[in-house]
Amino acid sequence: MKQLVLAVSLLLLAVAPLAAQEATTITWLNCCNWPSEEVIAEFEAENPDINVEVETVGFNALFEQIQVRLGGGASDPDVLSVDVPVTAGYGLRGWLLPLDDVFSDEDRADWLPAALAAGTYNGELISAPVSTSTQLLFINSDMFEAAGIEVPGVDDRLTYEQVADIAEQLTQDTDGDGVTDQWGFSWEQTVRIYQLQPLAVGLGGQSIGDDGLTVDGVINSQAWIDGFTFYSNMFNESMVAPQDDTIGTSDLFWSGKMGMMIAGPWNINRYLREAENIEFNWTIARHPYFEDGEVTTPTGSWHIGVNINSDSPDEAKRFVQWISTGAGAEAWWRRGSGDFPAQQSVLALFQSDEEFDEGVKYFLRVAADEATVNPDPRAVSPGYLEYEQILQDAFQDIRTGADVEESLNLAVARIESEMAKYRG
Amino acid sequence: MTGRERFMPYVFLLPALALIVIFNLFPTIATLIESLHGNSLVRGGRVFVGLGNFNRVLNDPIFWKSMQVTGLFSVLVNTIQVVLALGLALLANSRVRGITVFRSIYLLPVAVSINVTTVVWGLMLNSEGGLINGMLSLVGIERQPFLIAPTHALWSIIVLATWKGVPLWTLFFLAGLQGIPQTVLEAARIDGAGRWQCFRFVTLPLLRGVLLFVLVADTVANFLLFAPVLLLTKGGPQLSTNLVMYETYRRGFVYGDLGVSSAMLSLMLLLVFAVIGVQFTLLRRRT
Repeated sequence: MKQLVLAVSLLLLAVAPLAAQEATTITWLNCCNWPSEEVIAEFEAENPDINVEVETVGFNALFEQIQVRLGGGASDPDVLSVDVPVTAGYGLRGWLLPLDDVFSDEDRADWLPAALAAGTYNGELISAPVSTSTQLLFINSDMFEAAGIEVPGVDDRLTYEQVADIAEQLTQDTDGDGVTDQWGFSWEQTVRIYQLQPLAVGLGGQSIGDDGLTVDGVINSQAWIDGFTFYSNMFNESMVAPQDDTIGTSDLFWSGKMGMMIAGPWNINRYLREAENIEFNWTIARHPYFEDGEVTTPTGSWHIGVNINSDSPDEAKRFVQWISTGAGAEAWWRRGSGDFPAQQSVLALFQSDEEFDEGVKYFLRVAADEATVNPDPRAVSPGYLEYEQILQDAFQDIRTGADVEESLNLAVARIESEMAKYRG
Repeated sequence: MTGRERFMPYVFLLPALALIVIFNLFPTIATLIESLHGNSLVRGGRVFVGLGNFNRVLNDPIFWKSMQVTGLFSVLVNTIQVVLALGLALLANSRVRGITVFRSIYLLPVAVSINVTTVVWGLMLNSEGGLINGMLSLVGIERQPFLIAPTHALWSIIVLATWKGVPLWTLFFLAGLQGIPQTVLEAARIDGAGRWQCFRFVTLPLLRGVLLFVLVADTVANFLLFAPVLLLTKGGPQLSTNLVMYETYRRGFVYGDLGVSSAMLSLMLLLVFAVIGVQFTLLRRRT
């Protein structure tokens, strides 16, 4: 008997270290095929007891996956990327673990104040800021020169009226087959409120009522009607922007078939990756504004949160802390998504690092500065998902020729109907 | 019959029954249960709401608008598909030169997945550079906003669904036609019946069983059509292609309102049963 006990003890002693070494695996539901291998390898090297498995899905699919999995109470993913404006909705549904115990005062002080506020729900931090964003006017300089139009400087800010005028001159049917094959202008995210909000807010509009629920009298106000009449004209009257999005705006621009686009600075990284295939000269200018309006720029980007039902909440929190602060945040910016970091210390590198002194990378320094020019956050609402989706339908309708006022009124009716459930 | 022999048929049926229970019955019951629940936006978590979700759905103008669109779509697409399928089956059943080639070609769409079909048709129907608009402009017809105008979009979905659906229903009609004894048709012809009379008074009555099956299956398939709307129009423009299945998906997976989405699905299920019931009754009465 003693021999048996001894044998079992020895076996347990032999196995115990192996078990101790076995790392905990957490899953991160992430977006948009961002390259994450190098960053994850860095984290795992510093934290050998944690393995991170990245599950990457497309932008729209991410929201659906979160709805289905977290809504169904699943324990995976442990960690999820959170688009800033949906934080309140997820908080309301109780899907995210509070993260207040994870971050020091120093960490909090380093985040952009607006990003910290956007990740907080009911006084608790539930989604940690990772990145922020802005938008620029990308310009095909060769196309401008061919049309005899002066190319704006990187610090110039055109009015929307000027953009429309230039776009008309650039839009052409070059082979005479009756089909436009050189477009003047478009927005990169043609029907998303993120990029289109400045059209209304720049003319004095609001994104949503002060209670975060009311849209009647807000998104059908005169500012919205005027802003989106301009938007409609670009597609339907002057027809300088394509109604069809079979080929995306960014692809049209980078294939030399579009003169201007309002787009995110991630396009600069795209150029750096694909420079050898891009044969035209291009530059940037600041985000446009209306002649009679104010300069306002889109902002907000990705946060990261922990599933409240995660089986490994401590490991998940450690990963979230790492990637949203300090060296991890810098690694994610440099080798991951390339989106602007939400940490002021990392953001400052754009101004101090020599690599941003000249060339295309200088555009990133300009963009980092543009991110501070009157950024206007998206609506904060528990019903943001419904709000965004319904507005997307309205913008698509307007883009394809529907009456602006009617479309906005239909959106009001639909959003108000959806918001009723949040009014209690 | 021994006890074992009596038991054996059920053993053989068991795999099929198990699949029906797992993939049909269980999801249906789960949907019905979910339709009685909702997220508590005050306390958090899932709570029993009774018929609250049904009440919300039935008072929602967007749901009724999508019911209208679904009704119009079903009437049009089912009629077009059944008539076309029957016509093609009659053609495929005839003895004309080259018919074997035709029989091989018309079946091809059955082998293409609905997603691939949708993507290819989406490219062809593109308002700016699509193949169909290219062909129209060659013959001097103005380019058409197939997928982006409320007047065109539903028709574009109907054309796509018809291209995909008709060959399968043709196959069923063809099988039905080939099951009709030639002697009956010959007898009718000897009695002086012409082609139309043979079709109207012999072929069609003998096809009634197949017709009923095709009508029911086609109705159900088209009620559940989803991929083309998701991939091409997202219910637009101006809700003109917002079929109930897409609205159900949107409520559940975009807005995260699974209770309301399940209530819509349950109502849809009832509607499908009702329509099928009417179809059965009408065809039986005629028999």
